[in-house]
Amino acid sequence: MNCIKFVDRMAQGRVARRDMIRAAAAFGVGVTAMPVHVRASDQITVFEWSGYDIPELMPGYAEKHGSPPDFAIFASEEEAFQKIRTGFKCDVMHPCTYSVYQFKDGGMTVPVDTSKLSNWPNVIPALQTAEGVVIEGAVHMVPTDWGNSSVIYRTDMVDPAFQHDESWGILFDETYAGKIAPSDGESNIEIAGLLIGLDRNQIFRMTDEQLEQVRPLLEKQAKIARFYWSDPSEFGQAMAAGEVVAAYAWNEAVKSLTEQGIPVKYANPKEGIFTWLCGLSALNTGEGDSAMVHDFIDAWISPEAGKFLIEEYGYGHSNKVAFEIASPESLAALGFSTDPSEMLADGILFQPLVGELNDKYVNFFNDIKANAAI
Amino acid sequence: MTSPAPIVRQDSRIQRFFLRHEWARGYALLSPTLAVMVLAMCLPVFMLAAHSFWTQNYLTIDETFTLANYEQALGWLWGAEGAKPIYIRLLWKSMQISFGVTVTTLILAYPFAYFLAFKVRRNKNLWIILISVPFLTSYLLRVFTWKIILGFNGVINSGLMSLGIISEPLEFLLYNPTAVLIVLAHAWAAFAILPIYVSLEKIDRSLLEAATDLGDGPFRRFWRITWPLSVPGVIASGLLVFIPTVGDYVTPKLVGGTEGIMIGNIIQSQFGKANNWPLGSALSIVMAIAITIVVLIFLYVMSLGRVRAK
Repeated sequence: MNCIKFVDRMAQGRVARRDMIRAAAAFGVGVTAMPVHVRASDQITVFEWSGYDIPELMPGYAEKHGSPPDFAIFASEEEAFQKIRTGFKCDVMHPCTYSVYQFKDGGMTVPVDTSKLSNWPNVIPALQTAEGVVIEGAVHMVPTDWGNSSVIYRTDMVDPAFQHDESWGILFDETYAGKIAPSDGESNIEIAGLLIGLDRNQIFRMTDEQLEQVRPLLEKQAKIARFYWSDPSEFGQAMAAGEVVAAYAWNEAVKSLTEQGIPVKYANPKEGIFTWLCGLSALNTGEGDSAMVHDFIDAWISPEAGKFLIEEYGYGHSNKVAFEIASPESLAALGFSTDPSEMLADGILFQPLVGELNDKYVNFFNDIKANAAI
Repeated sequence: MTSPAPIVRQDSRIQRFFLRHEWARGYALLSPTLAVMVLAMCLPVFMLAAHSFWTQNYLTIDETFTLANYEQALGWLWGAEGAKPIYIRLLWKSMQISFGVTVTTLILAYPFAYFLAFKVRRNKNLWIILISVPFLTSYLLRVFTWKIILGFNGVINSGLMSLGIISEPLEFLLYNPTAVLIVLAHAWAAFAILPIYVSLEKIDRSLLEAATDLGDGPFRRFWRITWPLSVPGVIASGLLVFIPTVGDYVTPKLVGGTEGIMIGNIIQSQFGKANNWPLGSALSIVMAIAITIVVLIFLYVMSLGRVRAK
């Protein structure tokens, strides 16, 4: 340990001035010789969910512009928001209807000119005008993918009666103590709201009294949950092992677990199934070319991208032609019809929690988690 | 004769200044490090302190001075209206976990360092490299390795099941505070071993010989010579492990389950999801001050103990 010896000698004052200078010089040379990361890139930077950073979801883009865009990955929109706000440069981001507002309010999004998108006319009409897509008369988020949030459960390990009476209640049921995995988020509050009988709009704007009403449910859940997941692979692995028998999940989990031969089913809870709708927003925080941004978004909403998204991920796509060219088997397996509008209308669309409401929900859930820990 | 004189005088004035003032020489030598420290350490801490007196207003920050964040964090102590006990209780719990981690790490590290200092004669460098081998992989990877070891279908469970000792996997191995303790104790082991090793290595072997000559057995010799001389290393290791682990948030998030949450998780949430930087800053500062107080008490008690021993 030359280093320790050197420090010891230094502490005892036994280092000659020349040795000291030599060591300092060596350190300095070392530091300046380290490669500085410089890479001139004329590609746009896209801030994406993990798994969405593959060329198949933007067919034709790489061919036209020489290479796929530069990707950066985020795990939650809040994380992405904080990163962009503190100076991360990116041209496109992938928010959802409930999270796009903070990007717009933060002055980060720029309206997309839909006349430059060749695939825009084939976007499902209901999505073209959905709340969150159009904000104050301009398209701030081009809808791309949508799907559900529901309960996924092991058919071989959950009481068979549940299959005929599917309910969100299983995520709060002490029969399965230590075997459930809710997500690490405020959706638990909204689900608990459904369980105490609030309607599908009220759960996104609960009053303080209503929050107190759901508190016992959530406290119970915090006690009996195995863990709150923040990445789908966490509960995926636990469900495959039989450690967890029921979890909050997106459609994609059903497909990947079924393919592993795990007997799982995606519930259609009697209280209602959630629907989320996400899309691409052009941002003013990047240095990329606007025409390339439009080409990128246009590639994402092409029917070929949609076919891939439906068949490989099990999510819905915004282009209606995608449902016509996707294989009928995969549509049937996912429970999609060729006309997705009905499914979209049935689900409870996640609504944004803006400003104070977001603080209230986040802090309430933090409270629940902290109380369970102490 | 008159023209070159001022130049000489000017030169010598600077020289004389440096010769006369030792502090100036010191600062001149320190200046690059000092600049880095000011830019990379003091400035962020100063910003943190400033934020803690401000208020978050959705997307903007209201920069009027207020103590509201501290009242929210600490108000429960003096019964402020609406203040919740969770922050203080969570901080207390995080400290308990960190204390457990520190004690566990020290107990495991001391024999190792002792072995390294006294028993290993050849290839000492190789041993020291071996200690640092786990650090060649990322921290995240090491946490996931522990998940594989402690997991439901993990190494321990499947081992015990194949031996027929248990029929159902043990569920208490993972997703609780104990799992956090195990992972942290392993992660910080090297930071504890090295300072203890250095202090043991520096012990003058002739003192040990003298103790033996005067009739001390191995145990008394350890207790009267080795242990007191290695205490500085133990203190240094203890602080090196305790201070950073109180605020850790990755480990509890990954292996802590619903009971293993620590104060770091709440602070992280304030800077992320909750989007309340001022409250997060206030909580960070409260945590830093609390740690400082605990460390000062610890050092005071240790110095009292040593004075008494003399």
